[in-house]
Amino acid sequence: MLNLDAYRDLITKCSQCQLCQTTCPVFLEDMLETHLARARIGLIQAAMLEGKMPVTRRLREIVDRCLLCTNCTQTCPSWVPVDEIIAAARFELHKGKRRGRIERYLMHQAMKQRGPKGLMEKAAPLAKKLGWSPEELPAPAERDFDHRFQGVIPAEGARRARVAYYVGCATNAFYPETGEAVVRVLARNGVEVVVPEGLSCCGLPALVDGDLGTLQEMVRLNVGVLAALDVDAVVTDCTSCGLLFKAKAAKVLPEDDPVMARAEALAGKVWEATDYLNHLGLVSEPGPLGERYTYHVPCHRGWSPTLADAPRQLLDRVSGAERVEMEHPEACCGAGGAFFMEYKALSQGIRSRKTEDIDRTGSETVVTQCPACRTYLAAGLPGRRVLHPMALLARAYGF
Amino acid sequence: MKGLAKDLGGLIGRQGVWSDPEDLYAYSTDMTHYLARGMPEAVVLPASTEETAKVMQYAFKHEVAVTPRGAGSGLSGGCTPLHGGIVLDMKRMRRILEINPGNMTAGMEAGVVLRQFHNAVERMGLFYPPDPQSQEVSTLGGNVATRAGGPRGVKYGTTPNYVLGLEVVLPDGSIIHTGASTVKYSVGYDLTHLMTGSEGTLGVITRVTVRLLPLPPTRRTAVAVFASLDEAATMVAEITVRGTVPAKLEFITQGGIQIMNSFLDPVLPLTGEAYLLIELDGTPAQVEEDAVRLEALCKEMKVLELRMVPDEKQAQTYWKARINLAPAILSIFKRMIIEDVTVPRDRIPDFVRWLQNLSASIGLVIGVGGHAGDGNMHPTIVLNDFSQENEKKAREAIEQIVKYGLSLGGTISGEHGIGFHKAPFLLWELGQTQIDLQRRIKQAFDPKGIMNPGKLWNYGGAA
Repeated sequence: MLNLDAYRDLITKCSQCQLCQTTCPVFLEDMLETHLARARIGLIQAAMLEGKMPVTRRLREIVDRCLLCTNCTQTCPSWVPVDEIIAAARFELHKGKRRGRIERYLMHQAMKQRGPKGLMEKAAPLAKKLGWSPEELPAPAERDFDHRFQGVIPAEGARRARVAYYVGCATNAFYPETGEAVVRVLARNGVEVVVPEGLSCCGLPALVDGDLGTLQEMVRLNVGVLAALDVDAVVTDCTSCGLLFKAKAAKVLPEDDPVMARAEALAGKVWEATDYLNHLGLVSEPGPLGERYTYHVPCHRGWSPTLADAPRQLLDRVSGAERVEMEHPEACCGAGGAFFMEYKALSQGIRSRKTEDIDRTGSETVVTQCPACRTYLAAGLPGRRVLHPMALLARAYGF
Repeated sequence: MKGLAKDLGGLIGRQGVWSDPEDLYAYSTDMTHYLARGMPEAVVLPASTEETAKVMQYAFKHEVAVTPRGAGSGLSGGCTPLHGGIVLDMKRMRRILEINPGNMTAGMEAGVVLRQFHNAVERMGLFYPPDPQSQEVSTLGGNVATRAGGPRGVKYGTTPNYVLGLEVVLPDGSIIHTGASTVKYSVGYDLTHLMTGSEGTLGVITRVTVRLLPLPPTRRTAVAVFASLDEAATMVAEITVRGTVPAKLEFITQGGIQIMNSFLDPVLPLTGEAYLLIELDGTPAQVEEDAVRLEALCKEMKVLELRMVPDEKQAQTYWKARINLAPAILSIFKRMIIEDVTVPRDRIPDFVRWLQNLSASIGLVIGVGGHAGDGNMHPTIVLNDFSQENEKKAREAIEQIVKYGLSLGGTISGEHGIGFHKAPFLLWELGQTQIDLQRRIKQAFDPKGIMNPGKLWNYGGAA
């Protein structure tokens, strides 16, 4: 997938209809066509595939100034996989060295352990104090999710399914209570949950940086663990981890790689947690809540057609939980994983349009599956609760 | 021109001027990128009329070409900067200034996106009918500059039927306000409608005033499947003869439906050769009456199937699929050339039959679809093999289509405009006397020939 040459023909499918102008968050903020999916792939084609233009600093800037939110890919009527083309271009431009050596080392450590453990964890409070780490980031949880839950959590009542729960870095290190909510709500609804050991980051941060080596390492590690389990499904609470496993993992491996077949089989089993639960149906009635909430649809939703409606349908079962829709529930919040740390002003601009939309709903609570969205939205919405839909559902169950 | 970007940055601030080769390349075409590309020397994004005027004063003084641009989604090459100079991207001027339900009018800056404007007026129970299929991105300024229209043309007409007044920056930088905020207006030459459709060759449209209608309370979408192109074409004229004017009446062939099906659930059956996608609107009683009449007519015409779409939410997916149709053609073919010939409605059967024969005799795939209700057809040549021979055939086919459309009493462009793509055919439709007259009008507005040179009147900088 990270071989730009493989996209030569797909780039020519762009008709220049400009429909990506409707959803590209960077374009909508900058209002400059150069910073638009259509222009980005056109420039990649001209400079990197056809050699009609030199590869310049400005080109790198244009290729990097993209959230990889996939909104353009989802909007494109000609099915051009813009996000993959951008990732492939980054790989070719940076050869995995977009960040400095020390930063890469620390990232790699954190990815392998799914969170800032060891030295990084000790350094985190100091870094925060010194203003080195972004203010939006919450402090890591006292105890990681993988220290709270391990092994098999049995289903309550008759067992309806057995699933493996893939916990990504954010849930593991920063939002373990989200993981707890997922496990408890699934168990309450007759799902046996296996929390496997030995997992690592899904690899998406490496994809974003065009770091193929690290990406393949993470994919091999996780596929090795998850594909070996005897389960009906693999669920994740994070829409971005889900995107990686469902739509990218098999593609990033070399063609003759023995892991590829297992990665493909795994992709067939991957579900986002609310999507899976909604597909299975609730068997335990949640209790009432007195709460007005709005639902922010994560950008990385394209890998399952039912993902965006699942939280709505589940929470509609909770009496007293009043859903107020935003005008643009699917508009990006500006986080883009760690993008907001690098492009502060741009991300804040994107976010302020989102928070204005949220404000107009008069909701005290915002739910969304993506942890990066939760972190970044919470920082932009002081005094408001930003939760995973499973966490709100867990409250309705009285957990 | 040396120092152009620096000078312009000094006039309106550096955040509004871009001139790296990458930025220039990003602004070098519209949807006709396979026909021509023109590299500008600077991309300028004015935030106000005053900034636009400053840029024009400068361009006038230094005789720099200026190509105004909306969304860049045009189909005629109208905003391709063939002669370099400045591309004036109007999309940062995107404020809706007023929606006046009492007067049924609205005023806005030229860069307002049509979809945003539709949403804003419809929330207030008002209706702005023009609906070019680029409506998700196209700007009001661009719509006015090209006399844009869409499916609703059959019942409601197109952009010029709604424009009441304009603010225009003339080539020398002076600002004029044409028309009024009234439906009636009888003062001198109608400059509002001269600017409407002028494709950026006379001045820069910076503000637009339009009239509005009440939003029809009910809409209903239906699809009729026909065994032959001929039957579908005959039906188009018959519907209106029987007294129903649908809000939209789209003619689509099986190939088009195949593509649209990838956006539809449930999909449409591929049993027909041609399909009509219809929207009825009005009061509930009127829509019901029209629906009954449509069903009776379909029975009489022996359509293979009539699907009445059950609800508005599902109906939206059909119209979204229709919007996606043109760009999605490229997911199958490598190139498409979309024509815009419009013929009198009752000549559609002749036109469709003739096109089928042409496609067979010249050996090219020519799809035909369009807003048949108003006679606006979009014969579309699709290619997978760009051999010189095929390119030549395509050019020949376009010429023949245009000539045949004219011979039926039609016109070479219903809603896309002329740009450079159709400029060679102007003589056939207008004749030399009209062309000379129109060129004198151009010269009166733009004596230095700096406004969008190379468009409409196929000549360069000199007027």
